[in-house]
Amino acid sequence: MIAQRPSISLLGTTALIFEAPGEMNLTSQQRIWALAHETQAWPEIREAVPGMNNLMLTFLRPPRGLGALAALEARLRDAWDAAVARPREGRVVELPVVYGGAGGPHMADVVAHTGLSVEQIVELHSAPLYPVYALGSHPGYCYLGGMDARLATPRRKVPVLSIPGGAVSIGGAQTGVSASAGPSGWNTIGSTSMCFFDPAKDPPAALQPGDMIRFRVEGIVR
Amino acid sequence: MIEVLSSAALATVQDLGRTGSLRWGVGTSGAMDNLALAAGNLLLGNALGAAAIEVPVFPFKVRFGEDCAFALTGADCAARLDDQPLLPWWVHQARAGQMLTLGLPQGGAQRGSRAMLCLAGGVDVPEVLGSRSTQLRGAFGGHEGRALRRGDVLRAAGAGIGCKSGFGLVPPALMLPLQQDGVAAVRVLPAAEYLAFEPVSRAAFWAGEWKITSQSDRYGYRLEGEALRPIAPMELRSHGIVPGVIQVPHSGQPIVQMRDAQPSGGYPKFGTVIEADMWRLGQAPIGSRVRFIETTWDEALAALDEVRAWLDKVARMVELHRGAPAAGR
Amino acid sequence: MQDIALQTSRFAAWLGDTDIGLFELRTPQGTLRLGRQGDDIVELPAEVAEAETASVSVHAPSVGMFLHNHPLAAAPLVRIGERVDAGQTIGLLKIGPLLLPVTASQAGIVDGFHAADGLAVGYGAPLVDLPPL
Repeated sequence: MIAQRPSISLLGTTALIFEAPGEMNLTSQQRIWALAHETQAWPEIREAVPGMNNLMLTFLRPPRGLGALAALEARLRDAWDAAVARPREGRVVELPVVYGGAGGPHMADVVAHTGLSVEQIVELHSAPLYPVYALGSHPGYCYLGGMDARLATPRRKVPVLSIPGGAVSIGGAQTGVSASAGPSGWNTIGSTSMCFFDPAKDPPAALQPGDMIRFRVEGIVR
Repeated sequence: MIEVLSSAALATVQDLGRTGSLRWGVGTSGAMDNLALAAGNLLLGNALGAAAIEVPVFPFKVRFGEDCAFALTGADCAARLDDQPLLPWWVHQARAGQMLTLGLPQGGAQRGSRAMLCLAGGVDVPEVLGSRSTQLRGAFGGHEGRALRRGDVLRAAGAGIGCKSGFGLVPPALMLPLQQDGVAAVRVLPAAEYLAFEPVSRAAFWAGEWKITSQSDRYGYRLEGEALRPIAPMELRSHGIVPGVIQVPHSGQPIVQMRDAQPSGGYPKFGTVIEADMWRLGQAPIGSRVRFIETTWDEALAALDEVRAWLDKVARMVELHRGAPAAGR
Repeated sequence: MQDIALQTSRFAAWLGDTDIGLFELRTPQGTLRLGRQGDDIVELPAEVAEAETASVSVHAPSVGMFLHNHPLAAAPLVRIGERVDAGQTIGLLKIGPLLLPVTASQAGIVDGFHAADGLAVGYGAPLVDLPPL
């Protein structure tokens, strides 16, 4: 079900989430970036954190009372209506990927769900230029837009306890690359190597919203 | 300085958390019982958010390499300094060479699960991205971005400096009790997908006792109880989350995101444990049961005010006592 | 005492707004003593000079609520008949959230509790009978 109006919901008294309406797309994401830039300056807000066509605002000072909360939500809707999509000048980063094999343990599950062959999956996955929509999940991890809808495979019923850094995965309609080892509910189809995060650097993440990733086929292991 | 004598302890250096870096995918981390951390620091005259050692597994032993004041808060774990039993929620003075042993948490059904070992001046590790908390997933912050191991040596920023000791606090669990039908409880605000769950499931969530399974840690608590069923299957877009968010994956068994929560996720969100009650959950032992109480925005803010008021009162009383001249005997 | 009785509630209200733990007003008509019990201001009993017990009693180092046990413990800190060392904590004084130790001034054997568990006491009140060894 695709929502027609933005929705706003609470995460306790710690944060609220703003969900943009409509199908997920880059123009909406560019408006989310603009909304994040504006709301980051609001006195109630500690941090504006873009997600996939949504925005989480963590509270520095939660609005006192339901009236103040409603007023903040109204301001947020107005700010969204006024938000203009501004394309960003980003870098293009190419990542060499070995698809399948030990680094892509769930390729067979994606084949089974999509009905596509390994070759078709690799071709569809490596063709686009993927815009970085947002960072999240773990340090340096990039949420990417622009994956071909034919590759969509639901998140796994039982998440895997540990997937290594560099794992290239599909979760629902999205794709992404793990920046470090950890649990994942996504379907891992290949692996790459890249340093996505260094806390000593400023900014610490190698990629930012507005950058683009291309996956270069280094090899296919069956 | 102190030397860690225990291995495989899962102890980590934590402060009140790392804020402002969610946009890079860096979760806040921080003490599971932020009240115990703050209180321990106040007892020592430290800054409220000075770093300390969070101890989740016992026994845990350290040796003091120099004279150092310390405070033990959180779970009462029958601590001893050499062979002297120590009062819990108390500030003590250690001499160089003395060994501090934390035993198993006591108190039966009321026992906690995590002790906070606070040191004079705070644990002296570098600040990374504005915090001394350990970022386990990213392997940075705290002590070398990992749990403590035998042989690790940590510095106390205020070791050797005179510090008033030999007094303590009534634990907040006693001064701010919260139970439902005799079971430890926390308050929850419904979240975005709350109404997308079956009414029977929603009722079961509030009425049921939820067991904290052994698959629970700083990242999240996996709960066991009546499976929560969505009205229709949901596939959500990835979105920001915070500690306290209660997610419901396919299995229907909820997961409460804790302090090392990822900053984003995609599972349906049933509700969020309010920030004011996260310390209670942080002390709930594995195998224990918890009840959830539905609350409102205003009640949740009032709960935050209550916690802040308790900390303010503690700060005032401790400062009065620390500043008072020594009583004649 | 008449004038002082009328003033007691005013003194109590004033005291409640401060952080003062003990207020003692001595006049030719008598003595008024006010102290804190939890969040309330209570009138404390007049102290009777106990010259004989002073040397064998451990006295309250402050106004507060005398506790035999630590709030988290089931057992008291000391029992009657128990030998204690000088400096050993034999009770606690609760002032709001703060807990202060009541320590033995010398080694001895606990002879009895002068103040019951949970009693609001004034500065110097005898708490535990501890004849020296």
